[in-house]
Amino acid sequence: MRLGFFGSIFFIKMLPAILIILLFSVVGVASFTALLLFQDLSNWYQVLSSRYIWRLLNFSLWQALLSSALSLLIAIPVTSALMHRRFKGRDFLLQLFSISLVVPTIVAILGIVLVYGRSGWVTGVTGVELPLYGLFGILLAHVFFNMPLVVRILIQAHSLIPAGQWRLSYQLGFSRWDLFRWVEWPYMRKALPGAFLLVFMLCFSSFAVVLTLGGGPKSSTLEVAIYQALRYEFDIAKASVLSLLQVFVCTLVAFLVYRFASAYRQDFSLKQLDSFPVKDSLKARCFDLGFLCLALLILLPPFIAILTPIFTPLFITTLWQENTWLALWVSIKIAFPSAALSLMIAMAFVVLARACMDRPNWSWLPNKLEYMGGMILILPSLVMATGLFLLLRNLGIAAFELAYWVVVWVNAIMALPFVLRVILPTFYQQEKRYRNLYQSLGVRGFARFRLEWPMVRQAVAQACAYALLLSLGDMSVIALFGSQGLTSLPLYLFQLIGSYRIEQGACIAVLLVLLCFVLFSLCTRVIGGKSNA
Amino acid sequence: MQIFSKTSLVIATLASLSLSSTSLSAANTKTLNVYTYDSFASDWGPGPKIKTNFEKECACTLNYVTLDSSVGILSRVQLEGTSSKADVLLGLDLNLMEAAKKSGLIASHNVDTSQVTTPGGWSDKSFVPFDQGYFAFIYNTETLKEVPKSLKEVVENQDLSVIYQDPRTSTPGLGLMLWMKSVYGDDAGQAWETLASHTKTVTKGWYDGYSMFLKGEADVVLSYTTSPAYHMVVENESKYQAVPASEGFYPQVEVAAQLKNAPNPDLAGQFMQFILTQGFQGEVATGNWMFPVIESADSLPKAFSTLEQPNKVLILPADQVAQNRKLWINEWLDSVTQ
Repeated sequence: MRLGFFGSIFFIKMLPAILIILLFSVVGVASFTALLLFQDLSNWYQVLSSRYIWRLLNFSLWQALLSSALSLLIAIPVTSALMHRRFKGRDFLLQLFSISLVVPTIVAILGIVLVYGRSGWVTGVTGVELPLYGLFGILLAHVFFNMPLVVRILIQAHSLIPAGQWRLSYQLGFSRWDLFRWVEWPYMRKALPGAFLLVFMLCFSSFAVVLTLGGGPKSSTLEVAIYQALRYEFDIAKASVLSLLQVFVCTLVAFLVYRFASAYRQDFSLKQLDSFPVKDSLKARCFDLGFLCLALLILLPPFIAILTPIFTPLFITTLWQENTWLALWVSIKIAFPSAALSLMIAMAFVVLARACMDRPNWSWLPNKLEYMGGMILILPSLVMATGLFLLLRNLGIAAFELAYWVVVWVNAIMALPFVLRVILPTFYQQEKRYRNLYQSLGVRGFARFRLEWPMVRQAVAQACAYALLLSLGDMSVIALFGSQGLTSLPLYLFQLIGSYRIEQGACIAVLLVLLCFVLFSLCTRVIGGKSNA
Repeated sequence: MQIFSKTSLVIATLASLSLSSTSLSAANTKTLNVYTYDSFASDWGPGPKIKTNFEKECACTLNYVTLDSSVGILSRVQLEGTSSKADVLLGLDLNLMEAAKKSGLIASHNVDTSQVTTPGGWSDKSFVPFDQGYFAFIYNTETLKEVPKSLKEVVENQDLSVIYQDPRTSTPGLGLMLWMKSVYGDDAGQAWETLASHTKTVTKGWYDGYSMFLKGEADVVLSYTTSPAYHMVVENESKYQAVPASEGFYPQVEVAAQLKNAPNPDLAGQFMQFILTQGFQGEVATGNWMFPVIESADSLPKAFSTLEQPNKVLILPADQVAQNRKLWINEWLDSVTQ
């Protein structure tokens, strides 16, 4: 007997996953609709006919394209070098790569200024004042934030290379370059469109970095206009038109990227993490060393600048203050549930997508889901939070009393693109490789999960770590919903520097970075198992 | 070990606090909700002392709801609309008053403001001022030898590197725009262009710019005439001073207002009266680093008497500002992006 989709056992088994995704989509769409209720056509005309907006759009596009291209260009050889060489401090470096993303912008800006600024280290040593403010500053900061992220994503892709291919290239006597060209590149290339889009969207909506290090209003992005409309003019209609414009442009870019990118295909071969020695050469060594040094040069100095307050007595004083620990507690209280929620939503996506993979009518869905998850980033979190606020108000619920849960929810959603980017490829590969095997052996449900766990735990660990770290670093959502008693570490940092206590703010930044470090290692050790970076 | 005992102590105190607050509310004490910006209500801000002082008089609980900025306060109540739980908004400024009035959420007050010392006195019936100051450029006496004497000299000295804030996104930035407009009038566009050629950068908010200045990124930064007082009182450091302005300074006045839909209108009214008393005004100088708005019975800390005083105060009428704000921002934008 044939049952329709909705009557099938398949549907019932998928019900939890479908419900979670439904909840996610309904809340998302409803929040945005709440914003759109303020809409009328004259807003569109007003925005689209403004030369100012077009100039912003133009600049946003250019700097985002340049920043993401540069991040990718540096990240590719760095990833390759990191995967080939084992050296002391490699694990540390990989962890450092994971936390640059969550350093609060103002802290990163001050770090960069301390290194490259007028009274910075570079000028102090060489006597030459760098033209920091302008495109150079923007690119420097964006590469600092995003190149490490791309490296982490590419490492994930790199680890999907099956052992058989390494063995084969060893037998064929491939040189380092041949190996890159014929083995590594095809795998990395699969991850590039996604990584590019992620970074592109992050840079496209970058605001304080672009304005400050870009040297002023010549370097403004569309995000500036959205912020201005939402906060200073309280023109929700205009803000939502601008966000829609942003969504439209980013969707267009996403469409173009995937249109010209190679189709996403997974292979069936076995995956095992042995590495085979390749023919080394002086040229290859120089090449690897060069790019590793470049990565270190970009990443380390600002981090050292950020971490220097650790040696001051003020740092100890700060640690002894009650407020510091209260803020830390609030941060953790928000980060853990929102990471768990984010992983749960992501797993719902995974379960549904995998179930659809072997259904001819639904096989288009998995790839679309991945893009869809990624699109969340286009919506500024401030806009999303405002939408949710209005939605709750329309429902007669005081968002103010639910502040904690709203913050957890929005943070979970904001982390989703990162989480999906990390876990989807691994889970898809598992499905393609072992589905038939599991099905023929009748291994399902929890039994299957237990067999799969060793293969996927690293990806899950990394996803969890990203979700945790992103929630820890969040500023805008908690600032909109926050209230007394909901002061997280970043918010406390801004309170401090907002009232002249800049040095103490720097100490809180150190604490935040250290916390990210600890949580990241915890995730990779506890969830990911011992043997990984 | 000690840290642990300290945190457990904190947790225990918190637990007992939350218990006692519930038992208090059970005993029917009213709670006054005041929306303010975070540094006002922080431990080092004036908030906690004002709370203690007011609670002595009112037999109530004063609860601060903290937002990220003065603009944050306004947009929060605009978002909440008539369902807002706020009784009083504390921390809007002169240039947000028109927008706040337009929202239709603000009640009028009946506080006697005849003693108020803000420039030109105070007659607004919706807002009560609670502190004041002047926008000014701050410099480091150890590194800047030729100190400008006026706004014009800051604008025209091509060797002076300047950081200021974006008028689209920050209060001091908007203040500078109005200051420029009142000094240069129709030539403001030209002046902005001159300033742009030696501007280091323009930042999103006050703290970005001020902290970059403290790291030595520029010769002068836009802030308040009262900023040096912080460094003198808290850090015992007198190297930061305000650039004088022979044309006159532009004022910043922070204001409070009661909401029409305040859940506790009587308490809110009582608080509005309280603002102009010593219990409130005595805390703003070293708490918020601003001047009080009444002649103070207790004299201000010594550092405040050394601060740059305006020989003249420039101020544009609020309705004119509200009307032309977008226009002037566009003028600024066009001039500095040429």
